[in-house]
Amino acid sequence: MASLILQTWYIYLRNLRAWVTQPSQLLPAIFINVFLFVVFAAAFDNVSMLPGFPTESYVTFILPMIIVQAMVLSGIDAGFNLLTDDLSGYLNKLLLAPIYRISILLGVLLVSATRGAIQGLTIIIIGVFMGVTAVSGWPGLIAILVLGTIFGITWSCLGLIIAIRTRSVQATQSSFTFFFPAVFLTTAFMPKELLAGWFQVAVSINPVNYVLEAIRAIIIVGWVWQDILPGVAILIAMTAATLTATTILYRRATA
Amino acid sequence: MPENPAGTIDVRNLVKVYPGGTRAVDDIDFVVNEGEFFGFLGPNGAGKSTTLKILATLLKKTSGRVTVAGHDVDHAPEQIRRNVGVAMQTAGLDDLAKAFDFLTLQGRLYGLRSPMARERASELLELIGLSSVAEKKIGTFSGGMRRRLDLVATLVHHPKVLFLDEPTTGLDPQSRFTLWDHLRRLNAEEGATIILTTQMMDEADRLCERMAIIDHGKIVAEGSPAALKGQVGGDVVTITITQPESPEERDALTVKAQSLADEQPYVSATARVQDGLAVTVQNGGAAVPALLRLLSDSDVPVSNLSVASPTLDDVFLQHTGRMIRDEETGGDEMNNAMRPWLGLSDGG
Repeated sequence: MASLILQTWYIYLRNLRAWVTQPSQLLPAIFINVFLFVVFAAAFDNVSMLPGFPTESYVTFILPMIIVQAMVLSGIDAGFNLLTDDLSGYLNKLLLAPIYRISILLGVLLVSATRGAIQGLTIIIIGVFMGVTAVSGWPGLIAILVLGTIFGITWSCLGLIIAIRTRSVQATQSSFTFFFPAVFLTTAFMPKELLAGWFQVAVSINPVNYVLEAIRAIIIVGWVWQDILPGVAILIAMTAATLTATTILYRRATA
Repeated sequence: MPENPAGTIDVRNLVKVYPGGTRAVDDIDFVVNEGEFFGFLGPNGAGKSTTLKILATLLKKTSGRVTVAGHDVDHAPEQIRRNVGVAMQTAGLDDLAKAFDFLTLQGRLYGLRSPMARERASELLELIGLSSVAEKKIGTFSGGMRRRLDLVATLVHHPKVLFLDEPTTGLDPQSRFTLWDHLRRLNAEEGATIILTTQMMDEADRLCERMAIIDHGKIVAEGSPAALKGQVGGDVVTITITQPESPEERDALTVKAQSLADEQPYVSATARVQDGLAVTVQNGGAAVPALLRLLSDSDVPVSNLSVASPTLDDVFLQHTGRMIRDEETGGDEMNNAMRPWLGLSDGG
């Protein structure tokens, strides 16, 4: 067990170093998040004046959506990283070492989690500067950072699953197009009551929406457990399922 | 308990069938003794890389029994990984890492403590003359530097056994000689058992004490380079036929020449080569006039004729009926670590 932790740590450090020394991976991700945040906040600012809108601050309302879409997009990176090592032959080198092979996967996932946490933190800090106010205060902001990071792991797993199945960087990137509805068929921009009928149905069967609403409840309603727990439960189930599937596929692919 | 000494390799009835049905390795047996320098010679797609990957625990065999360094590949793959160093055809380097960091991480993954791993990394960079670029990113290295780095990366843990898959492919002659030198020293001074695959006859000839020629997944000949050349049984006369314009005519002439030569009692084998024919005879000096007369009587125009003692090329030709260079290039063996599960795509 100790050696598994140590091996995972070494591989994690290596992946982390590869990521930080590549501004081309880091900067576009941060740019797009900040851009969307600013644009959505400006474009929809007056929506918060509609009757029935749950908060006066549209920036606060949109913050969870920005976090959620950042995490979905970050899933591509995990798949991309594994494929890069596969194509360069470096993955073979790691597989040839007398290490727990699962440490390679854990190293990739942990770096994804780190990336997710850093992105989430950047978004929250920018949000605070833009006027985001959380009724649950800093503990609430930390809680949504944790939930967001876990949500990011789920999507990294999906990215890895697609990468292992397709072994193609292009396929991994383009298949994420299909996940965008998961972000947009939510109450990301409007509360459910203000949405069209068919949209309300789509929203209610989209698991991502429950996670989004749990995150939002924490900052605009506070610690109201019946609003938070369903989303947290779904998040845990999603993460457990995707982690299991990823592990099984990875073990098969490297057996 | 290890059944064999730590440096030996024992392969029995090894078969590998890829998903999709390609029989890459077709029932081969061989033994490599401790401290031996053993070569696997064969064209692309012959099954060399597949065999090496199975030995290195990167790929699962279909059937057969394989022990490496005294351990069974099925039962103790981790023990094997601890004892072997493997350099694959595609150098497995981390382009974003600095050479020193890359080797240090290799050391740590093989269980060295941090100061030891750093010391070993410096030592190895020194060994291959890359100390001056220790802090440079590997992505900036030339092909020769990459190969050398990849090679020493396999040595961090002082392995008893080395598997090298076409280690000098793509290198310029200068880098190739340097690498050969390193390999000889590793074998002689550190006593490492080395299995090397190659498509280059002279590489096998210069380095290997013993070798196996593999073609279409089968071992067609095995022995020391000298013994194998001895088996060719005489000299090789290479006949170049004056080339007419049309390919059909060219073909017809070669076929005619070959069937004529085959009928002669002093000819032990014939094979078609680029622009002509290679004929194996008991005595080159005596056969040349006879062959010339035979061909000119039958209106086969000969533009050049040479006699040579057998080379490994001739050994390959004798056992496979082809020149190794006639093979199309383009490996059909999978170079990547991950295989699509259930073999849904590129199975083979």
